[in-house]
Amino acid sequence: MTTTTINGRPLVLPDDPDALLIDVIRDGGLTGTKLVCGSGVCGACTVLLDGTPVVSCLLPAQAAADKSLTTIEGVGAAGLHPVQNAFMAHDALQCGFCTPGFVVEATAFHDSWRATKGAATPSREEIAAALSGHLCRCGAYEGIYRAVAEACSGRFDGNDPIAPRLEARDKVTGLARYTVDIHHDGQLEGVILRAHVAHARITGLDLAPARAIAGVAAVVPLLDDDNMVRFVGAPIAAVAAKDRRTALKAIAAISFKPEPLPAVIGLDAARRDDAPVVFEKKDRKRAGNVSEGAGGAPVSWKGNVRGPSAPFSQKAKQAKSWLDEARQQRNPLLVEETFRVSTQQHASLEPHAAVARFDGDQLTVHISTQAIHESMEKIAKRYGLPHDKVRVIADHVGGGFGSKGSVGLETIAAIELARAAKAPVRVAFDREEELSVAGYRPAAELKLSLLPSAEGRLKALSLTAHADTGAAVNSLIAGLARLIYPAEAKELVDFDVLSNLPPGAPFRGPGGPPMSFALEQAVDEAALRMKVDPIQLRKRWDTDPNRQRLYDWAAGLDVWKNRKPAASQTGRYRRGVGVATGYWLYLWQTGSSVELAVKGGRIVASCAVQDIGTGTRSVIANTVAKAFDLEPQDVEVRIGRSNLPPGPGSGGSRVTASVVPPTLLAIDKLKTEIKRTASRTPAPGSNAPWREMIAASPDIAVSARRQEDGKPPPGVRPALHEAGIMGRVFGWVLRLMNHMVVGAGVPSSVQVMEVEVDTWLGHVRVLNAYTGLAIGKLAAPTLARSQAAGAVIQGIGYALYETRETDPLSGHILSGSMEDYRIPGIADMPKLDVHFDEAGFEHVPGGSVGIGEVATVPTSPAIANAIRDAIGVRLTEIPFRPDRLVAALKGRDAA
Amino acid sequence: MSVAVMTAKPAPEFRAGGTDLSERRRSGVSQGMLIDISGSGNKAITWDADGAAQIGALTTIATIATDARIAAAYPGIGASAQGLATPQVRQVATLGGNLAQRSRCWYFRRADIDCLKKGGSTCPARSGNHLYGVAFDLGPCVAPHPSTMAAALLAYDATIATNRRSGLSITDLLGDGSVSHADHTLAEGEMIKSIALPAPLERERASYKRAVSRTYAEWPLVELCARVVIAGGKFQLVRLAAGGVAPVPLRLTAVEVQLSGKIANAASIAEAAKAASWGAKPLPMTAYKLDLLQGLVRDVLERLSDELTT
Repeated sequence: MTTTTINGRPLVLPDDPDALLIDVIRDGGLTGTKLVCGSGVCGACTVLLDGTPVVSCLLPAQAAADKSLTTIEGVGAAGLHPVQNAFMAHDALQCGFCTPGFVVEATAFHDSWRATKGAATPSREEIAAALSGHLCRCGAYEGIYRAVAEACSGRFDGNDPIAPRLEARDKVTGLARYTVDIHHDGQLEGVILRAHVAHARITGLDLAPARAIAGVAAVVPLLDDDNMVRFVGAPIAAVAAKDRRTALKAIAAISFKPEPLPAVIGLDAARRDDAPVVFEKKDRKRAGNVSEGAGGAPVSWKGNVRGPSAPFSQKAKQAKSWLDEARQQRNPLLVEETFRVSTQQHASLEPHAAVARFDGDQLTVHISTQAIHESMEKIAKRYGLPHDKVRVIADHVGGGFGSKGSVGLETIAAIELARAAKAPVRVAFDREEELSVAGYRPAAELKLSLLPSAEGRLKALSLTAHADTGAAVNSLIAGLARLIYPAEAKELVDFDVLSNLPPGAPFRGPGGPPMSFALEQAVDEAALRMKVDPIQLRKRWDTDPNRQRLYDWAAGLDVWKNRKPAASQTGRYRRGVGVATGYWLYLWQTGSSVELAVKGGRIVASCAVQDIGTGTRSVIANTVAKAFDLEPQDVEVRIGRSNLPPGPGSGGSRVTASVVPPTLLAIDKLKTEIKRTASRTPAPGSNAPWREMIAASPDIAVSARRQEDGKPPPGVRPALHEAGIMGRVFGWVLRLMNHMVVGAGVPSSVQVMEVEVDTWLGHVRVLNAYTGLAIGKLAAPTLARSQAAGAVIQGIGYALYETRETDPLSGHILSGSMEDYRIPGIADMPKLDVHFDEAGFEHVPGGSVGIGEVATVPTSPAIANAIRDAIGVRLTEIPFRPDRLVAALKGRDAA
Repeated sequence: MSVAVMTAKPAPEFRAGGTDLSERRRSGVSQGMLIDISGSGNKAITWDADGAAQIGALTTIATIATDARIAAAYPGIGASAQGLATPQVRQVATLGGNLAQRSRCWYFRRADIDCLKKGGSTCPARSGNHLYGVAFDLGPCVAPHPSTMAAALLAYDATIATNRRSGLSITDLLGDGSVSHADHTLAEGEMIKSIALPAPLERERASYKRAVSRTYAEWPLVELCARVVIAGGKFQLVRLAAGGVAPVPLRLTAVEVQLSGKIANAASIAEAAKAASWGAKPLPMTAYKLDLLQGLVRDVLERLSDELTT
């Protein structure tokens, strides 16, 4: 028998040579240590082995024999470590799922740094090298740099800082419990059997051999009623067993006969006339949905190509004829180019996960979800249960980015297995499932023509997008170009191209980054040909008042004013500066409600909303605290439970604009109620009258629903009004079907990027990023900055590194591990300057709108334009990997 | 998400640090018996009177990366160790394990796809997606060898002793790239025991660099370990070993020959670097690796010659 010491306590290690340390740690109840990549590359499972950081996901349990282990729970056990204090103070975290690993590593670095270097401050490079074995998908790197530097310099010795993020302490100590950490007595582990062929009819499904295996409690079929699988990884059945190993053994025992059908993989193959068809006419309703809203008008569908969908075109025929004419006349101002964007995976560090349990007829489901309230409604409807018999819980959510907005297979499998097994069941996707079948931003081909008039105005624009949506429909990319840069005529056409690949899903500003990637490069190219400053051309063509102010800010940046012309550079390393613009819709959700109560002399705010790392708790706490002259920490915020007043989903950047206004209404009501029920008024001249009155108040509660906005100033309109009658129809559909309102004013971002290109090794580095944002007043300023930074680094990943790799014949996803799906690391984070312009949304109660999506829209084209500025060559396909850079520099086509 | 398609009988595998093996166990690619050797082997670096070093096979990569005497005598070995994987992996991974690790090929590492290295009859990457494949197509399998340390040891003419053989060169250990079913020539039950490095030459310098897309923690597209001796402003010795481009680490002898006796400056290096592609046979998707290889040769040799001639 071998033992180890874990956080000072002895622990017996299993004899099984295949047992890994992470399982021993987590099964022992220490769930602060997270399993993410399982391949040693993300560092979320980092623990100290005799003081040295190691990844517990790869370490055999026996390697800890007779050694001393420290997990995140042991790090702050005797008072928080300076690193933990610094992470809290600098908001060096968002969803918090990677945070324990970062903190454990950083404490080891801090301790050895302090031992040899005293209170010197480590450089960015030294910190980046030390933390190079960690990945954060939210992109909290900026705060992490500051936190580690200042902890090492001694600034956080012994002090207990105020954290701008309400739940920061739970996240830096590993106490925050995510869905994957939930463990009920008697809980079983569920695993899904998935197809290994891209297209087949399944017959003879026999679940009995799995049921016969000892330790298996339930087996349920998951095949759709047409018994078809249309992509590798399509679900067939699920098993619940006493542990994962038994469940894996059981799914391997399930027998079935796949009748293989011809398959077609990817955008180009699926468009061919002779391509096998993925969805026959009768099956089209089975396709997934890549948009946040419901489908619009009926769209024609031929073979695998669904479209054209062109509701936002404006004088399309006119645009066509002007562009034809310009082509014939060889008009030098006519910009024509085909762009390609790549598939981007959400790569949330907490996988899709659900834990379901039945207590009699009461169903409780913990879900890693972006939509607590809506999930409850949908589960109730699906299983015919009254709303009060379904409780959905998500205290903390380890990232979502759009992929966790609907009730997913993990939830359905967990519920059905729990019902069949009569025991609680957890289903958590493994990393390969997460990086293949859990959704993605579809790749697309974008054909663009842009024609300035002889007077220098924007005359005509044509954009046709073919999106690589897999087994899904409803991509909207080209249509989004209607809402920016008014022109005399626009032809905007969207197509979905379906193939035997997993279905795409909404991803942070669906359609926005691809549209912007094409359009913003074309505008840049037009400026070059017109010999006009690219910012000034945007000022001329773009009428939006918010962006007009942002252009002035960008034009005043030293990095912009001091640009060098590309032709002046001939050396190995070349620098360039690029600009790009982005917008997103201002959305809010009708019916969003907030309850404010005084309980035991303390204010409690409640809403069935979730915090996916975006800072919902802090937004509510700050709003309440400000009104009562309290500190945010004085306010208890209850979210993450569906039995609270209904709240919005975390999608469409709508949470802040949905919860702040009703919170303000509730504040007024609560103030009246506190005064009315007060037995005595505060002492005259009191410094904290509200604090005293709240402390003395009896328990009371009020609630409020999201009110309509005030009247916007002249010229400020909902973005959709730019799109004429179809825009208004789209707006009505959103409100009726999705309870979302498109409000007046357009959240906007202008970004300026400075890059350095190594022409020998094809390497692009973003040196400095400047992001200007008009999103109204900041409800939680530090957290808004964190969101802005995270959006930029995610945009950098999109531009430079990220792509899903598939096998073109079999349809297997090859980039199913975090080694092969490449998200940015801390050293890839540029220096960042964030500028907030807080005007423009005074008609919104509270003045705040969402930031999450708009902040990532213009990053990839700004980088593309900067590369063009540096090397004189325009790259039209992302990611800008070394192979593409060296090919472009040699005038060769990349593979 | 794993159902294994194994055509070959699972072979037993030795486990040292487990950083490569644990992932293959989890995915189901490795299913044979485990023989844990982490507790029992040689973890020491010893030095001969003439300055030659022997490194025990179980010495961790972190130890090699931070050993001051290694850095002074064999800077290419130290820099290579520093440049691979992540800090946490380097703490656990061993030199022997780095040499004996299995391919990083996407297809090999998926349990549900058959391939040559798993006893299959074809290479699915060759007809499929081989973006990170070889640019020197020397055998049926198109995956480059994953060992960074093997390239460094090749540059230093290191020899390897196993429990059955001794005096093996890197080529003896890893083969010539024409054999596809394995990543090395070790027989079942044969394990690496130690690695011997010849005494360093007088005034030799070395460097290592990899071409990647991100800054850290990425398998190299191309990597290069270079040793040089420069005297009187001229190259007396140039030794270049490249990884990421072939099924085995590759000496760039054409460049070495061309630079021998030449003036150590940017112009002669740039001219000779073109010969880095000598013998190359890129796949449809891998021609870019030759550009990167040429760029790396220039990068590393220019830095070394700047350092030594100024």
